[in-house]
Amino acid sequence: MNPTITFRSFLIAVVALLLEVLPLSAAREAHGLSVEEIALLKGADRQKVLEQGAKKEGRLLWYGTLIVDQLMRPVKAAFEKEYPFIQVEFFRGNTERVVQKAVSEYQAKRYDVDIIDGTTSPTLANKAGIMQRFNSPYLAEYPAELKDAQGIWGATNLYFLTLGYNTRMVKPSEVPKTWDDLLNPKWRGQMIWSTSRGSGAPMMIGNILLSMGPEVGKAYLLRLAKQGIAKSTASNRQILDLVIAGEYPIALHIFNHHALISRKAGAPVDWQPLEPVTATFNGTGLAKNAPHPHTAMLFLDFIFSKKGQKVFQDVDYLPAHPEMPARQVDLKPGGGRFKRANYVSPDVQYEKGNEWIDFFQSQFLK
Amino acid sequence: MTFSRSDPPRAVANFRALGAASHIGVEMWALIIVSVVTAYLVLPPLFSVIQTSLFTTKLNGELDRFTWKYYLDLLGGFQLAGPLLNTLCFSLGSAVLATLVGGIVAWVVTRTDTPLRGLGYFTAFASFGTPFILYTIGWLLLLGKAGPVNFLLKTLLNQTRPIVNVYSLWGMIFVEALLWSPLVFLMLAASFRSMDPSLEEASAASGAGIWQTLRRISLRLMLPAFFSVVLLIFIRAFEAFEIPALIGLPGDIRVLTTSIFLDAQRMPPNYGSAGAFSVLLMLIVAGTLYFYFRVTREPARFQTITGKGYRPRLISLGRWRYVASATLLLYSFVLLVLPFLIILWASLLPFYMQPSLEALSRLTLRNYSTAIHYPQIADSIKNSVLLGLGSATVVMGLTMIASWILVRTKLRGRWLLDLLTTLPLLFPGIVMGLAILRFYLVVPIPIYGTLWILLIAFVTRYIPYGIRYTHAGLLQLHRELEDAAYASGASWSNCMRRIVLPLLTPTFFGGWVFVFLLSAKELSMSVLLVSPRTPVVSVAIYELWDNAQVGELAAFGVVWSLILLTVAISYYLFARRYGVQMQ
Repeated sequence: MNPTITFRSFLIAVVALLLEVLPLSAAREAHGLSVEEIALLKGADRQKVLEQGAKKEGRLLWYGTLIVDQLMRPVKAAFEKEYPFIQVEFFRGNTERVVQKAVSEYQAKRYDVDIIDGTTSPTLANKAGIMQRFNSPYLAEYPAELKDAQGIWGATNLYFLTLGYNTRMVKPSEVPKTWDDLLNPKWRGQMIWSTSRGSGAPMMIGNILLSMGPEVGKAYLLRLAKQGIAKSTASNRQILDLVIAGEYPIALHIFNHHALISRKAGAPVDWQPLEPVTATFNGTGLAKNAPHPHTAMLFLDFIFSKKGQKVFQDVDYLPAHPEMPARQVDLKPGGGRFKRANYVSPDVQYEKGNEWIDFFQSQFLK
Repeated sequence: MTFSRSDPPRAVANFRALGAASHIGVEMWALIIVSVVTAYLVLPPLFSVIQTSLFTTKLNGELDRFTWKYYLDLLGGFQLAGPLLNTLCFSLGSAVLATLVGGIVAWVVTRTDTPLRGLGYFTAFASFGTPFILYTIGWLLLLGKAGPVNFLLKTLLNQTRPIVNVYSLWGMIFVEALLWSPLVFLMLAASFRSMDPSLEEASAASGAGIWQTLRRISLRLMLPAFFSVVLLIFIRAFEAFEIPALIGLPGDIRVLTTSIFLDAQRMPPNYGSAGAFSVLLMLIVAGTLYFYFRVTREPARFQTITGKGYRPRLISLGRWRYVASATLLLYSFVLLVLPFLIILWASLLPFYMQPSLEALSRLTLRNYSTAIHYPQIADSIKNSVLLGLGSATVVMGLTMIASWILVRTKLRGRWLLDLLTTLPLLFPGIVMGLAILRFYLVVPIPIYGTLWILLIAFVTRYIPYGIRYTHAGLLQLHRELEDAAYASGASWSNCMRRIVLPLLTPTFFGGWVFVFLLSAKELSMSVLLVSPRTPVVSVAIYELWDNAQVGELAAFGVVWSLILLTVAISYYLFARRYGVQMQ
């Protein structure tokens, strides 16, 4: 081997390394702290440090899946009211789009995004290596199933997936109240569910396999498959609207708060929990190279705090904070209509989701 | 150069040579420039589609392993035959039905003396203003088990079970064909309008009746246009998603796109099946195009606009014209009025109810107030209109020149241009959106997060439509008019400006409005490419579809449809005046 070439390539490598590192360390000096250090800050002066940093940053970019006029805007407004020197901007997409966008940007070394939310978005983004562990003192008030053990995400709001039915087509005495009631031959061809991975048939299959155990669950599902359930790629909201319109008497797996909203408007619809109720939640976390880390941490603190959770409560969403009830109390477990919920964590969804989809495709699709 | 009047054929030949010599350079340059621009737009997504079909990707976006899996899965679909057979029946059925319906209406509107002809254009433009999702929902509500159509039929026939089952292959074909019939109409109307009347007159003079003339002269002259339209609708139906998903799936009719969609829900997200699917589609279409080329190799057979006065005369239908009027009215009613009424109805209710007296008492404007207060609504509308204007103009300008090269010149490389301008038709929107997103994140052109990246995406996606319009239009334009211009000493640009473009005005405007309306609806790329500062309407509609109640979605759709309709109609009126002036 030629030693000069080796030495030269070594020099080049050193220069390249320096070039790579220098801007970073320069940036670090300007900020004082790295994103990671800010994210994991503890101690009495934490709030002061965050606020001082946020004043310099002044902005926040949030990639989210929450519904714009129901939540993203009210949350933005409430947070900006709390910290008037901050401007929040957001991009809204579904779970996958949000991650795709952020991951594509990171691949091109474009670090714009600060906050990412979604049912599985933070988990997915973390598997892609673009999330930062963080520590928010407010998450201490949350139960273990509503926050990530590694500190990648915390839950902001809960979703409960229940049966929804047209009250003109299904008499009160007939409403299925247990999973076994769904096997009644009179419901053959009368039920519809969504194909959505995150909230439709695969999730319900997952809940049954997890809660009944693989063998009993599978046997049950094979019987359910004979009921000729109609499927649609439409969202749960639209499927519920088809039920309201009288196209199908029963929607198998819809968000209970949607049924409530329509019921309040006078629609002939109600929801019925089948226990354990499938439960998911929206998780929120911090992007690895967030350009506004101080602001991002203030934001995370805010949405996990009771003050931030009230915004969710006010728009009839179900706050994740254990001490914050839903405005309509019975939408949450323990509120009178159901007790047991099966929280399917985003990690389990990620690991098992493909199996559930396989089961759905092989047994329920013709 | 001089020539003697006594020797006209030679003189013409000389002038042809002269004309050719003076514009051959321009031709070549035009080909090069148009090809480079098109290649720049089309190749990155093409590369990405092929790559997607051959590699698995990691979650962080990096390519993982090389694999034939996606192709094998797709071929597995062949063995099952179910989805593939359904896809073929659905696509072919929709293409034929749409062409039949749209073609008849186009003929009645452009070539006969039927009263109320203008209704055809109005219907076509207006129906394109309705977003796909909304249109499909409208038909679901109309034809559904509990819908008014079944209610009427049940009452009439004294039955208790629903009569019409929309969740079937026929239901899918019916709605898909209706959806595309306005495109067929607009494309064929442009061709019908510019047809050489002398052949039809000769036929009539020889004692042939209307039907005989139609069958033996008009339809045959229109062959390339028909073929082009059938192929286009076939491809669109082959790739269609909304209707197979919302109408087919609940009835257990699966097609390839719905199978791919269900598959693509796996994690980590891979678009390999979608990629392999579009590569397969590319091969099918390439084969068909080859066939098409063989059919149209002698374009002179189809040239119908010659130097002899080209505006075709209207055919007098006699008493039949009232039948034609009635057909036109029925078409408008079914295509436009019915779905619009049901959407309007849904938009006025707090929750969806079948039409009834009880429902009447609940009518409300609440959904409209929700729609009008939708976040960034004004910006969204402004952006969507801007994008529509921009992409329509760029697409039509670019494809006009491209078509001229394809039809007029004998340059060697033009097949490449033809291929390039057809390819975007075959890219799945989501794959193309991702490709464009990644491309502009990497190349040092700072348009990421601006409206420009959306414009580029739209132009790329709609080039094939522009080409279909302009190609069919130019094919019918006989070379002799241009030769006459060159013979009179006109330059290439002069000839284009004063002969070709004016004669193609109807084609141009037809295509322009069409691309405008398509861009206004584009969704699959927009959802990825919009940024917090560049909201567009279609994404807002998609979000409402995902999260809002039917009534809110409908109200938003009605407002947007009315805006699009205003734009389309005012442009149509403008174009018609312009067209009149040219005469």
